[in-house]
Amino acid sequence: MAPDDAMPDLDARRARARAMGGAAKLAARRARGLLDARERIDRFVDPGSFVESGMHATSIVAGDRERTPADGKIAGYGRVDGREVAVVSNDFTVLGASSSAVNGRKIAQMKRVATQRGLPLVFFGESSGARMPDTMGARGMGTMLGNDPTQYQRMRETPWAAAVLGYCYGSSTWYTCCSDFAVMRKGAVMAVSSPLLVAQATSEAIDPEALGGWKLHAETTGQIDLAVDTDEEALAAVRRFLSYMPAHAGEAPPRAAVPEGSGADMATVASLLPASRTQVYDVRKIIRAIVDRDSFFELKARFGKVATIGLARLAGGVVGIVANNPLFKGGALDVDACEKITGFLVLCDSFNIPIVMLVDTPGFAIGMEAERRRAPGKIMNFMNALSLCTVPKLSVILRKSYGQAYLNMGGGRNSDEVAAWPTAEVSFMDPHFAVRIVHGHQPGTPEFAAALAEMERDSSVYDIAGIYAVQTVIRPEETRDYLARMLETHRMRPTGGVGQHLMRAWPTSF
Amino acid sequence: MANIEARSEVNGSVWKLLVEPGAAVEAGDTLMLIESMKMEIPVIVEDGGRVVAILVKEGDAVAEGQVVAELEG
Repeated sequence: MAPDDAMPDLDARRARARAMGGAAKLAARRARGLLDARERIDRFVDPGSFVESGMHATSIVAGDRERTPADGKIAGYGRVDGREVAVVSNDFTVLGASSSAVNGRKIAQMKRVATQRGLPLVFFGESSGARMPDTMGARGMGTMLGNDPTQYQRMRETPWAAAVLGYCYGSSTWYTCCSDFAVMRKGAVMAVSSPLLVAQATSEAIDPEALGGWKLHAETTGQIDLAVDTDEEALAAVRRFLSYMPAHAGEAPPRAAVPEGSGADMATVASLLPASRTQVYDVRKIIRAIVDRDSFFELKARFGKVATIGLARLAGGVVGIVANNPLFKGGALDVDACEKITGFLVLCDSFNIPIVMLVDTPGFAIGMEAERRRAPGKIMNFMNALSLCTVPKLSVILRKSYGQAYLNMGGGRNSDEVAAWPTAEVSFMDPHFAVRIVHGHQPGTPEFAAALAEMERDSSVYDIAGIYAVQTVIRPEETRDYLARMLETHRMRPTGGVGQHLMRAWPTSF
Repeated sequence: MANIEARSEVNGSVWKLLVEPGAAVEAGDTLMLIESMKMEIPVIVEDGGRVVAILVKEGDAVAEGQVVAELEG
């Protein structure tokens, strides 16, 4: 084609690709308050920074080429806070963003470049699953699906983040579950298969929200970290998550300036602890007082609520917070909390983020339900993950630390430093229960009182500091400065702040 | 009509009722305290509203997940 014709031809082809599935479909989305696939990228990356890869890719099926701009999945490179990221955004207006031979190659390219060059990888999920009828039949399966044995391999070379922004079935669901962070817009659905297919296959009426809505995943499955109301909030959440992450596992996470007013609430932090040891409190108030102002980014807040996890900054450096939250069930660790903490320890260790544990737990929740849900195995996964962490680990015992949970929360040299508030009590179990189990005495009797006094002996903070199982006893208001200093002391100097990543292939969902 | 159910998150016994039917409550307020594992475990409302009925009395045993109060939002 002559240059005079070739340039207008390219412009026309670009315009067709940008028109996606057509004006009518885009207008219908807009009317529902949803962003389209290209708008999502534009609003996510730094302005003007997106370079597309595969704009002229279309379906491999000759008859579908004209109706498959970008083959339904838009890919490319953008910048977030000035750092390069790779992005895949599903265009539902093109054949439901179904997975195909060609758009699979685009995703593979994004993954390959992100992994080899050290870029975070971001997925905006909204797709109907494998493209039909392309994948039907043995020949369809043999040629269209997969053909990339590393497609769903996860070795945590770089951070992955996913946003569930519409109906996600098949690969959009798989990539979300392979990611380190997942946010979901309320109203979106994430499931293995669509409600229509499930209803036909099982002959039961299916409510999409019950099958894969945000409440299910935020509260019951724990497969998402955060639920938000709008597309824009989801994009902002992914940006915020990435702000705590290094670009790849081979570097330390980025530092930030310490906001004014950080630490201002430390003077009164002790007042957040209730007067009686039988009363509960919300540990998140203590976390927010300790870390840099407004830096606490809680994850999985509605799942496994007896524990609180989240990313934060302390004196400008990124930390992962693991805390018991007595507000829920007194802070007794259940199976959901074990899974939540285990996954978070893997995340932090894989991306060189030091761990701060705030301890106040009566132990692991026991009972029939716990055993049925394999609590012993979950407790040991948690313990094993903690012992495989090579990033600095700091524990502060605020109040109770009992039994095996003492070890899981960093006691017994499972943290690099253990500090305790003067209110700390460490023992094998609550002395009230111990008296009944060891002596058989009932509360209210003189024998019980005498045995309780004996059982409570030697469980004070100075008894454990005396044998150096706790390295120091600090006033609550000293906690922020103490942790900031210990993070500096324990900075991984020989490796430039990079850990060993012994859990890099730990399952992302388990 | 009652459209919010408040549940106990633990097995235990009702130690102290803190609100009466008719009371207006806000998200995060505590309706009652359940004694469990030697701790005072609160029943907290997740969404604000008005208390329609308290379904337990002090001293009652409650099971995990049991509805202990009804509210309307």
